[in-house]
Amino acid sequence: MTTNVRKNKIITGVFVAVLIVLLLVMVALPLLWMVVSSFKPGEELFTIPPEILPQKWSLEWYIQAFQNKAVIHYCVNSLYIACVVMVIDMIVGSLTAYSLTRFRFSGRKAILVSVLAAYCVPPIMLMLPLYKIMNGLGLSGSHFGVIIGHLTVTLPFSVWLLVSFFKKLPREIDEAAVMDGANEWQVFAKIDLPLCISGVLSTGIMAFIMSWNEFLLSSVLTNKEEMKTLTVGLSNYISSTHIDWGIIMALGTITTVPVVILFALVQKYFVEGMTAGAVKG
Amino acid sequence: MRRGPALKRSRLLGSYDRRHKLIGLAFSLPAILFLILFVVYPVCYNVWLSFTNTSLIKKTSEFIWLDNYVRLFDNQLFWKYFWNTCKWTFWSVLGQLALGLGIALLIARPMKGGTALRSFLLIPYVVPAITLALVSRWMLNNEYGIISHWLQQAGWLQEGQSLLAMQGSAMWVVVILNIWRSYPFPMLIYWAALKGIDKGIYEAASVDGATKWQCFCYITLPELKNTTIVLVVLRTIWTATYYDLIYMVTGGGPTGSTTTLPILIYQASFGKYQVGYGAAISMVLGVLMFVCIIFYVTKSGVAED
Repeated sequence: MTTNVRKNKIITGVFVAVLIVLLLVMVALPLLWMVVSSFKPGEELFTIPPEILPQKWSLEWYIQAFQNKAVIHYCVNSLYIACVVMVIDMIVGSLTAYSLTRFRFSGRKAILVSVLAAYCVPPIMLMLPLYKIMNGLGLSGSHFGVIIGHLTVTLPFSVWLLVSFFKKLPREIDEAAVMDGANEWQVFAKIDLPLCISGVLSTGIMAFIMSWNEFLLSSVLTNKEEMKTLTVGLSNYISSTHIDWGIIMALGTITTVPVVILFALVQKYFVEGMTAGAVKG
Repeated sequence: MRRGPALKRSRLLGSYDRRHKLIGLAFSLPAILFLILFVVYPVCYNVWLSFTNTSLIKKTSEFIWLDNYVRLFDNQLFWKYFWNTCKWTFWSVLGQLALGLGIALLIARPMKGGTALRSFLLIPYVVPAITLALVSRWMLNNEYGIISHWLQQAGWLQEGQSLLAMQGSAMWVVVILNIWRSYPFPMLIYWAALKGIDKGIYEAASVDGATKWQCFCYITLPELKNTTIVLVVLRTIWTATYYDLIYMVTGGGPTGSTTTLPILIYQASFGKYQVGYGAAISMVLGVLMFVCIIFYVTKSGVAED
């Protein structure tokens, strides 16, 4: 009996271990293959059969990539747009979350539902009207349109996540502050916001990541080569007839690594926020 | 006599309360204004565009009632692409929910390094679609791709052939890629839902002699029903309207075998410059999704909160 139970336990343990290894491989393999390929010198990239690990590691693709001025434009644009989007999301998002969680005005539920509905409006639905509007306003030559486009995607998400953080603060804290003579703005700026700051920052970083990764609206709402973001620039590279695989792998690595590092920093708060109020059964 | 001051006080409180609520509402104003200007208005504008023959190369546009829709529904290709969208959405959503639930069950077990494992498995959530697209195109490249090479060696694929170039397999490739990048969300939500199930139920069941399998079928699955409904709705909306991955991996080809409605919208609007027609296609998609959104909002319980 006891040996049987033990045997079962060992079998389950092995089974679980194998599954975990398979999952790790599934997630890591494509990304590792990209990174490895980006460090392979030209003659090794195109060997048949392909070598798993490079004989010698080389930085030539990275050097070549950055000799192209356009690539530097792409990086700066992506960084600039994502930072602006992040800051706006943090400010507007926390103001909204404060309003929706600390006050009981009529229409509060309607706003909450609208934010949720806006979160579900896909970029493909907004692409044409935003394109026409930005062209009509003569803003298609600047980053303004792309920033607005990214905000339509990230702002509802940010509000949604921030509401779950603000909700957790006990209301007694606010009441105590009001007793001491604080007005609504002071309660927000001096008490609630500092208490939620880790949630606000991680929401901002998630918005940064979403903006950095966004493709459709970025590609439609800019018409100048030097205004393009990394994702748009890269997609042009892979759809051209002559594909420079080495440079593409290097650029892919440059696009992905910062995002993964940032996510590693905030994923604890992200998990907390998403699972707190996200999908209630 | 004593009523006077009390009434005055409650009136004062009332006015304080009203002022307080108004200020509270004011904090929401920037977001409300933004959503009205850049989400609500564009959606309405899109409806109007779909009734016009607006074009990117003509200066003028006319109101043509339902002509775009008539043209659309008469087009055999539209129905083919509509069917592609259904296939793409169905298999992607099924795959990511099944994989997400499977992994959630795995990581919900108490084990060493569980948190680290969960964090690692979340990575695909933030990997840009472009990265996935370029890696897969590289790995499936007909000459130098490592996967193509293996398949060719095994004799499952002709020399110099790629899975992305064949009508039969291209859709499956993009579906698998999409499952890879979108399973973390269901995984996370299922994981949280699993943690929320009362352990006592399982103990009671096992005292009554229920096997693990019975526990799973009669306790776990019913407890996850609402979560699953919400996930299906959300993921259906996001998958059916998702443009980036297919565009970057196959561009809708070969010969339209991976063209879904979002790709068609883009092609009509920016390939053929027929913005009105493109808007009509997006309206068809939008109406279908709107039904999903309404369903989601009523199901998710936000309204009762």
